[in-house]
Order: sequence, then C-alpha cells, then structure tokens
Amino acid sequence: MPYRGALILGCLVISYPVAWCATGSTVRFEDVTTQAGINIRHHLRTYHGKSADVLRMFTGGGAAVAVGDYDNDGYEDLFITDSEEGQPNHLFHNNHDGTFTDVATEAGVAGGNDALNIVSDAIWFDYDNDGRLDLLVARFGTPLLYHNEGHGRFKDVTAGSGLNEFGNTIAVIAFDFDNDGYLDLLFGNYFQPVNLLDLKNPHVLPNNLDDATNGGGVTLWRNTGKGTFEEVTAKAGLGKVTGWTLDVGHGDFNNDGLQDIYLACDFGTDHVFLNNGDGTFREVTEKATGWDTKKGMNVDVADYNNDGWLDIYVTNIYDDYMKECAMLWQNMGDGTFTDVSAEVGVCDTGWGWAAKFGDFDNDGWQDLFVANGLRSAGPDNYLTILLPMITRPGLDFTDVNNWPDIGNRSWSGFQKKRFFHNRGDGTFSEVAAEAGINNDRDGRGIGVIDFDNDGRLDLVQTNADQAPIVYHNVSVNVGNWIELKLIGTKSNRDGIGARVQVQTAGLTQIRELDGGNGYAGESSRRLHFGIGTASKIDRLQIRWPSGRNEQFEVPIDSISSIEEGRGVLR
Amino acid sequence: MNKWLPWLVSILVLAASAPSIGEVAAEAAFRQGMTAVQSNDFASGLHYLELAITDDPDNLRYASEYRQAIIRRKEFDRSIEFFEKLLISNPSSANLHLNYGFAYVDKIPVVGSITQVILANTALGEFTKAVDLQPTWIALYTRGESYLFWPRIFGKAPLGVADLERALVIQQKSTKKSYFARVYVALGDGYCKMDLPDKARSTWQEGLRQFPDNLELKDRLSLPMDDLLKHIENGFDPNKRVDTDLRAIWSEGQ
Repeated sequence: MPYRGALILGCLVISYPVAWCATGSTVRFEDVTTQAGINIRHHLRTYHGKSADVLRMFTGGGAAVAVGDYDNDGYEDLFITDSEEGQPNHLFHNNHDGTFTDVATEAGVAGGNDALNIVSDAIWFDYDNDGRLDLLVARFGTPLLYHNEGHGRFKDVTAGSGLNEFGNTIAVIAFDFDNDGYLDLLFGNYFQPVNLLDLKNPHVLPNNLDDATNGGGVTLWRNTGKGTFEEVTAKAGLGKVTGWTLDVGHGDFNNDGLQDIYLACDFGTDHVFLNNGDGTFREVTEKATGWDTKKGMNVDVADYNNDGWLDIYVTNIYDDYMKECAMLWQNMGDGTFTDVSAEVGVCDTGWGWAAKFGDFDNDGWQDLFVANGLRSAGPDNYLTILLPMITRPGLDFTDVNNWPDIGNRSWSGFQKKRFFHNRGDGTFSEVAAEAGINNDRDGRGIGVIDFDNDGRLDLVQTNADQAPIVYHNVSVNVGNWIELKLIGTKSNRDGIGARVQVQTAGLTQIRELDGGNGYAGESSRRLHFGIGTASKIDRLQIRWPSGRNEQFEVPIDSISSIEEGRGVLR
Repeated sequence: MNKWLPWLVSILVLAASAPSIGEVAAEAAFRQGMTAVQSNDFASGLHYLELAITDDPDNLRYASEYRQAIIRRKEFDRSIEFFEKLLISNPSSANLHLNYGFAYVDKIPVVGSITQVILANTALGEFTKAVDLQPTWIALYTRGESYLFWPRIFGKAPLGVADLERALVIQQKSTKKSYFARVYVALGDGYCKMDLPDKARSTWQEGLRQFPDNLELKDRLSLPMDDLLKHIENGFDPNKRVDTDLRAIWSEGQ
C-alpha cells in the first residue's frame, strides 16, 4: 500500500484540513451545472382524476441520465429525461470546453412524454454494431428505439423493432446475455402492464408492502441481429419474477465468462440469476443471498475490495421509521454473497436511489456515491397520515383509493447525499460534506462521466421534479489513471460484458463494462482505473464477451481505444 | 352442629389459601412443558405450556416461558394465534393481553419493515388494553417503553414518559427490586426523545443512586450528548430483538 502511505504522510506534512486527513480523502467536487449550460429541470407526470395524487407519488421517478459519446468525437455527451406530458427530453452535446448544448430537438430525440406514455429511463447502446450509439428510451408505456443515423441525427425505428409491448418499465440495461455479438435488452417493470394514465381498475398497488407479488417483473428482449428484438422472458427462465422491479444489473458473478443478473425489487425480495450459457438463466437467490423483505432500489456491480470477484450494491430505505440497511453483497467466490454493508460503513443511505461505484481519487479503490431523498415539500410529514392507513386491519393496500393524498407533505425529503470513500482496508468513510457533494435534492439517477477527459471522474445527479446537478471533480493530489474505450468485433461493438484486469505495483483490479447498471443512470462507456502512484501498467488483460483473451500495453494518464483482435488504436 | 364449626372454618381457610385444582393442574402442566422444552422436545413442551396458560391465563410466568420457547422455535404465528383464541374466553385478563402484545413484539425482528410497524401498532393496542384493565407496574412499564420505539415524527414519546412516570410512582411505593432500574433507564430515554436532556440526566443519576451497579445507567451518564442520542436510538432498532423475558419479575417477586 505505498500510495496510501504517501497520502497519510502528505496529510501530516502539508497540513491539509483535519477532516481531510482523518478520512484520507482528497476528493472534491464543484457544482458546475449552470456554467455547463445544463439549465433544465425534471417534471413529474401530472395525473388526472380521483387517484391522481397517489399515482403521482407512486411514480415519483423518471429523472434519468445516460452518458455516451453519440457522435464519436471523443467527448461524452448526456441524455437527460423528463416525465411530464409534453416536456422534452434533453440531449446535451459536449462542446469540449466544459459546456453542453441541448440538441435534442434537432437530433430528433426530444419526444416521448405523451398522453399515454411517461419517460422513465434511457440507455445508449449500439444495437446494430455500426459503431454509433443508438438510444433506447424506456417508458411507463411502450419503449422508444432511436437509431443513430450519424451527423447528429436519430431515427425512431421503434415500429419495426418489435419493441411494441406495453410495460411500466422503470429500468433498462443492455447486455449480450446469449453471447451472439448483439446487445439484448432487459427491462425492469414496476407495475403490472396497466396504463396508469387511463386507469380502469384501482387495484394496482402492491398487495403486500414487504413481500409483494403483483409487480411487473422483468421482460427480456433478444436482439435478433437483424434490427429487431424478440421477447424471450419465459424462455430464458425469467417469467416467474412478479416483484416490483426497480432496477436491474448484470455482471459475471461467478467468473465463468457469462453475464448474470441481479434484480432489485421494491416491497419484497431481490433475485439473483446465473447464466446457464444456453440462453437461459437459473435462479439462485436462496443460496446466493437469501430472500429479503426490503425495498430494493438500485443495483451496481463492482469489485470493491479488489479480490477478483464482483460485488453488488443495493440501496434500500433507511430512515427514522424504517431501518433497512443498504446491502453490499460481498461475493464470497463460492456462489454465495454476504451483506457487509453495516460492517464496512455503507448501510445508512437514507431513502436510497441510484448508487454508483467509481474511483474518484484514482487511488485504486472504488468509492461509492449514493443519491437519496423521496419528496421534499412542505413542513408536514406524510407518514403521520400514512401510518393509520398502514395499520388499519384488513385494509386492501392494492386499492389506490385507500391511500391518502400526499398533498404538499414531505416524505423522507431534504436528505443529504452520501459519498462513501473507500479506505482501501475493506471499509468506507462517509465524506459527502467534505467532498462538496452533500446536496439535499430528491436524487434519482447518477451518471459517472469524465466530461473533460482529465482522468478524474465527474458526476451527474438527476433529481425528481427538480434540476439536475453536474459535479466537476476538482480533487487534488489524485493518483494516476487510465481510461479504456473498448471496441468489440466478434463481441458486441460496445464491448459490454468485457472484463478488464489491470495489475500495477502490487494491486490487481478488475472492471466489467456494463450496459446501464444503477437506477436511472447509465455511466461512461469508458472503463476508468485509478492506479495511485504507479507509473506504469504491469499487465492489462481483456476477456472479451466472445471469450477471446488479449493483453495490451497502454500509456498511463491517457484515454486508449482498444479493438478486439486488433489492439490499441493510435 | 357447633362441634363441627371449628373444623368447617379450618377447611374453608385452607381452601382459600391453597392452590385451586386448576392451578395445581396448570403448575403440573407447566413443569411438564418446561422439562420437555429443556430437552428440546418442543412439540410436547409447547403443548403442555399452552395447557398451563389455558388453565391459568393470568400467569405471567407461564406465558413468558412459553414465548421464550416460541422464540427459540421461531413459531411466532403459533403464539399469536394461541393468545388470540385464549383472549376470546378471557377478555379481562390483563396479563393475557400483555403477553399477546409481547407475542407480536417477539415477531418484529423477523419481518419486513412495514410489517414491523403493523405488528408494533397491534402490540401497543394490546398493551393499552392491559393498562386499562389493570394499570400495574409491568403494564405501564411495557407500554411506556413500547411508545419510545416509535420515531419522533409520531409524537408518542410524551405518552411513553407519562406511563413510565406512573410506573415510577408505583415502584417508589413498593419493595425495591433490581428490575426497577429499567424504569429510570427508559424514562431518561423518553426525556431525551422529548429533547429534555437535563431531565434525562437527573433521572439516570437518581436511578444510579438507587442502583449503583446498573451498567445501562452508567453508560448513559458517561456518554457525550451526540453519542448518547445515537446510543439511545440504536437501542430502538426494530431489527434487534427486544428482551421480553419476564423471568426477573418472579425471581424477585412482583
């Protein structure tokens, strides 16, 4: 641990602020939202009729961000969603000078919020392997698929794509579950497929608040490679999930080269499925994690302790009235996971939403940023009128008319965000205030992005019914780094599912490129590694989704593009 | 006739002070149940303990031991159903309501967070029935402590403090028992939840004067205010099992 030692010595000699030294953190962010030109805000959908208020509360998300370099200019752009009828989504083109310009209308991707559909999430993915990122917009409704035509223009190709099934989708990821070289889509659906904007039956809410079985489950869409998708949920073994899915995540949990999945469900148990390698999955929840009764909100996957096994972080609800620790599922390497969140210091997230790993100080250990907060409004608390309802014997929770209106009340609002700095010893310190990132907005999605290509990871936080925040990483004395853009050839062009192992000065790290893990946020397509004081990469190995293993040499403190079977592009 | 009168009086006096046939049967069943439970024969043990409680529904000891066995077996729904049924024929047994409430409390750590709220609320309702029927020290202490588990937003701390203050009055008029220290601990916690730290501290100090070896009181008095509040709130974590074993009460006498 030479780098960690150097940091501590630095604290003593240079006299950093005391809190800084106590945590070992050097991470610092600045809110640059306005300077960056991100002058927008999210709007929740307005419902009409008797149950309008409760439905608006129950669908209080939809503020998502997707990071991707759609025009291949070497700078990452942002797609940020809205949810109110008639309100546009935003495509922020990176101007290479720390500012962005909203080009959604010209690009043809602003639409999606109409009378029968509510935008909820979005991801970039190159579904036809043409080298340009396409865009999938998930909705409470039917999804939208935009093909990137080049020159900053997109074409709505939904009608011919087969993606025409109604669903109350709240999360979507792209990954190649069958390793055929084309990216497939996994949708996490919150409600069952009933249109909430045209509600015929009021019995649409959870049938149990700790063990609900009447949610929307998931739907898996296989990319045929011909520009279309076919639904294979049941065939793949995922048809029996009936939970209120809030997020979905993927990764190779058992190091067999196949992409497995974790489903985070509200009002009940999460699910773990392992990939059988034949286009199907098998549920291993009981052995892997056990069943839970929590309010799963987020799935992010990373090897937080650098032991060569991917771990999983799930946010739940932790507040005065509900003590559901977040879950940091440490992968034990034997098919089981152990929740170590309390022991390592990442339990208390408030009402958690998105959480994303990233090495924000480039010390070789991945930190964790968590968005939280449900609803910040007036001084009265919704709980005081919710409690009598919840405790009324025999009450039918599914009936939307049985829930009290929230009106202008707050509910787990004004919560300070959490930034857990990885101390490199298996524990984390919460340093959001010191890092300048402890805002109290109603956070939802997180996009990790290096928008100025300086090797320090920046952040975009979306907020429900509020403006997003762009945080510029201005940390000093950070470590060295590399960023890798992967280009698949036999594998999917995006390289999603590729595993990269980097060895430097006694530290071995792994990353897998994911296709949108984390609630309402897709992060950078570049794999970022902090390497501390190491002056070179001792070994860099990529295991592509195709199964091909290759080794490369890349310079430090720079961004490298690597093509499968060809090498580092110069 | 007159010569029989002294005998008759003696028999009546003896009958009044001796256990009833039902109590004798209950005690026998209790002993049989405890023996079975101690040898891990829970099927027989729980059966006999239920017989004992059925014969003597107001007996705190029987019900408490039964619930501890239930906790070991994790058969929480069994005890809830048992007490619920028994209350139909014994609606005015304060201790039965108390134990019915405890049965819900015993289940709280093993259920989801919303169900915890529902169970806690149901338990509170049973504790209130017990207090209404017989405002004993144990009933008031139990309900008072139960109120303190609720987050501040629900404003139940003053209700808890009121119960605990009544319990304190009762214990001050009674023979001193070591478990009375619990009221000082809980009452101070309640004052803390009402943002009355000075009153909390003086309550704990008084408690420590009465019970100089009590570690919980010592802990509270040794902590700085910020740590103290965290310490207290951590104690009200619904995921941690609350000790509902009433053994201390009969070991020292009520």
